[in-house]
Amino acid sequence: MRHTSSRTRSPSGGGVVSTAFGVLGELLITLGVVFGLFVVWQLWWTTVQSNQAATTIMTEFQESLPEAPQVAAELRTDAPPVPEAVAEGETIGALIVPAWYGKTDNTMPIVQGTSTELLNKAVAGHYTQTQQVGEVGNFALAGHRRTYGNSFRFVNELVPGDQVIVETASTWYVYEVTGHEVVLPSQVDVIAPVPNEPGVEPTERLLTLTTCHSPTLGEFGNSHRWITYAKFVGWMDRADGMPEQVLDDPGVQ
Amino acid sequence: MYGWIFRHLPGNRFWQVVQSLVLVAAVVAVLFTWVFPWVAETFNVNGDPNFD
Repeated sequence: MRHTSSRTRSPSGGGVVSTAFGVLGELLITLGVVFGLFVVWQLWWTTVQSNQAATTIMTEFQESLPEAPQVAAELRTDAPPVPEAVAEGETIGALIVPAWYGKTDNTMPIVQGTSTELLNKAVAGHYTQTQQVGEVGNFALAGHRRTYGNSFRFVNELVPGDQVIVETASTWYVYEVTGHEVVLPSQVDVIAPVPNEPGVEPTERLLTLTTCHSPTLGEFGNSHRWITYAKFVGWMDRADGMPEQVLDDPGVQ
Repeated sequence: MYGWIFRHLPGNRFWQVVQSLVLVAAVVAVLFTWVFPWVAETFNVNGDPNFD
């Protein structure tokens, strides 16, 4: 101890100055480390926490459901049942995107509302002003792209024909992707009953996924919004079975 | 600064290292639990996937 302290005070002089520079240097290094830790927190830890929150919601939802027969059911194309709107923050059902299987948590809760607090639980949030699942019009959902569960991270990999499935307490709703576009956050008409045509009476049952995107930063940017459209192709009663695509998905019950 | 703190930790070298690790872990925990969420919220680092 004595040896070290005498060394800092001795030869090249300017004891106070060199000590001050030493402390300054250590503070700057600390600042750099803290910035690095922030990135770790943002990209990794938020996802760990959000996935826990989402898992809790999913488990609660699934435990409230009657056992679904583990068989593939016929897709019905008549008018599906439409659920009543639930209160803000309550669970509507589960969103299952078979194309995301093995990549992200592809059985995520759908909750009513799109506040940051809700979306930070790694859920898909239903825009409350849009239609209900199965209803004629637009069932529009928001989710994070990166961080907080990376909910819609691989939205860019969805191609026309890919299925987007919604599971509720009574019904499976099957939609198929029709296309996508990248828009500015101000272009809210993409979630209109007929996308981009506000005021027009809808005739089709649509589902729209909205998430962050940037033409330059891709999944890491949030200057734009990635909009993926899907169209209703059919439904099935939970009592009859489930869509073939989700039979092998361990996240589905 | 860090050297000064390290030298003023009690015990032998082994215990000094253990205590240093505990201190670092405590600082990281405080950052992850309170500081970073506050920074992200205050400066809107993460943005919002919603439409504004």
